[in-house]
Amino acid sequence: MNKFLLLFFLPLSLFAHLNIAVSYPYIGALTKTIGGDHIETVVLAKGNWDPHFIIPRPSLISKVRNADALIMNGGQLEIGWLPPLLNRAGNPKIEPNAKTFLNLSHHIELINKPANVDRSGGDIHPDGNPHFHLSPQNILLLANTIKDFLISIDTEHKAVYEKNHSEFLSMWNQKMKLWSEKMASKKGLKVIQFHDNLAYFNNAYGLLNIGTIEPLPGIPPSSKHTIEMIELIKKEQPCCILHDVYHSTKTAEFISQKTGIKVVLMPHDIEALENINDLGSLFDHLTSAIK
Amino acid sequence: MKKILLASTLCAVLVYGDAAALLPVEKRTFDQSKYIPDISAILDFSYVNNSVKDDEIAHLELPGVAHGLLGEHSHGDSNHATYNAKNGFNLNYAEVVLSSSVDPFLSMDAVFHFSEHGVEVEEAYFTTTALGHGIRARGGKLNSNFGYLNAQHHHYWDFGDMPLVYEAFLGMHGINELGGQIQWTAPTPFYLMAGFEVLQGTNEQMFGNESVDIEEFSGVEEDKIKGTSAPSLYVGYVKASHDIGDTTIAGGVSYAQGDSMIDHSDDHEGPHVFNGDAKLYGADFVVLHSLDSYSSIKWQSEWLGRELDGIQYNLETFINPNMNKKQSGLYSQLIYTHDKNWKMGVRYDTIYKNDVVANGVNKNMTDDFNKYSAMVEYHTSEFARFRLQYNRNEAMYNEDGNRVDIDTIMLQANISIGAHAAHSF
Repeated sequence: MNKFLLLFFLPLSLFAHLNIAVSYPYIGALTKTIGGDHIETVVLAKGNWDPHFIIPRPSLISKVRNADALIMNGGQLEIGWLPPLLNRAGNPKIEPNAKTFLNLSHHIELINKPANVDRSGGDIHPDGNPHFHLSPQNILLLANTIKDFLISIDTEHKAVYEKNHSEFLSMWNQKMKLWSEKMASKKGLKVIQFHDNLAYFNNAYGLLNIGTIEPLPGIPPSSKHTIEMIELIKKEQPCCILHDVYHSTKTAEFISQKTGIKVVLMPHDIEALENINDLGSLFDHLTSAIK
Repeated sequence: MKKILLASTLCAVLVYGDAAALLPVEKRTFDQSKYIPDISAILDFSYVNNSVKDDEIAHLELPGVAHGLLGEHSHGDSNHATYNAKNGFNLNYAEVVLSSSVDPFLSMDAVFHFSEHGVEVEEAYFTTTALGHGIRARGGKLNSNFGYLNAQHHHYWDFGDMPLVYEAFLGMHGINELGGQIQWTAPTPFYLMAGFEVLQGTNEQMFGNESVDIEEFSGVEEDKIKGTSAPSLYVGYVKASHDIGDTTIAGGVSYAQGDSMIDHSDDHEGPHVFNGDAKLYGADFVVLHSLDSYSSIKWQSEWLGRELDGIQYNLETFINPNMNKKQSGLYSQLIYTHDKNWKMGVRYDTIYKNDVVANGVNKNMTDDFNKYSAMVEYHTSEFARFRLQYNRNEAMYNEDGNRVDIDTIMLQANISIGAHAAHSF
């Protein structure tokens, strides 16, 4: 009988990997860096697509159904696609409030929290701007949060997670110095964006966002607003249009033609552009993009 | 004395009311406002122009398959109308949806359909959230997960009307029943789900178990066509899906079996009741290819086949033949989503098999039922869409057995406010 029990539990202990589902690639990279060999990450959304609009494909249901834990961005970024997946998965481990569920936005101070929430103002995020991972300082906070989370669900490997975390910390601190040096000359530059994706990046390096190509969050460009933007650009002389990779650059190109300012593609996540395959290269690219 | 009491009570209420208004939410002692469920309201309003008049449309039928499919019908006090029933303006519904978690183990959803004629509980069910092992159970009034379209609400459809084969076999609400559902998602790397449902079985087009009173026809006191006991409808399905790059392929097979009691004893011409067994088979296939974050092509098709076997009680002639019906049809639609604003699509509907056999004799019913639809949608945002749809309906027949083709132009507004949960695939 005991032998039988042993046989039954043996495979479980052999494959004691934690299988962690994460919503976006940057969370996957960070979790894998800290978790190392003790975890597997499954990324739900692709990095080159609009993080607000992910199709809740049935294949994603299987991914969360088989997960031991879930880490999400939060701040309502996943509101349009993650709830129906959780609802169908039949997996209490990935339900909000489970101790194996982590909402990263609860551990970051969100900026631009709107005083008034009304849909006449477009697709507003009521909790503030959720694109907080685009500040290198926040990455440190997130790494720390994920480390604590992994320890809380897998205390056995505490030492490993702490070691991986401190290695990441020293690497990231060095990188941050380099990035700050690179961006020092850019401080005070005015920029235009399509959607205010880079609010935290701009804050970190003192860039000033003076307008967005979309008239209101989530509302596609209108000709009236585009004309206003052209007027604004002529008056304020921003350096460039910082553009995400998933919206069409058609309107930006038009504005660029009329005003002569450059359109710069800014990746928002790993895999957003071809050569961006980890967090380091994401910020390497972002901090070198503005010439 | 009374006056003083009244005055002091009034003062107390005023003071208390004032204090409550001044205190911030988190300091109100028994405040429960944070527990308000997600509430949303959805309005569906349409302008319809049919090439056939309302009176005539209500009398058209699919011979051997369904009576009075389109338009508005009165049954005694109740009024029954399909979506977009009348020429001119139609308030299809104002729907109110409430949903919230109940406790750590359950969630609850309720969908109320308000129309000009009253309120219907479209759905009201609880769902388990803590069973684990990929298992989810649901109980209450619910849309069956049979096929692909059946579980979706009207406001999520790509066309303003139901596919012909669905509406003809199951009516405008599809399989919408009281009952219980259990689903299991398999621990496989690709999506695989199996589900089973036990339902009351009261679909007026196909399933039923309530006895029908025929005393007024036979003159015999308490004369009834005896029904069976509920629940009497069982549904099972298996669904699977796999991604190849940016393309999702999803498919499923479904089966429903139940007792049948189709009550047409109120009909003015040839009142009858069908009583027997009903089986419904379904197969669905969906391919979605994403072009970018906002643009996609979706091809969606479903096949339905049914068999009804029993006795048809003709209440005027009292000739009650054994009746066997084997009927099948399908729809196939292609939808192109251009961007956040524009969407367009075409749909083909058909019922191609209609074998009706009475006492072993094939009645050679027509099996020529086709419908063609095209639509274009403009979305001002995710919360509002305006749809222009054209239907060419070559499936309806008048009482003389002649086909009456209908051209329909439909302009539909579907507007939603509040907190409404995202839809599943």
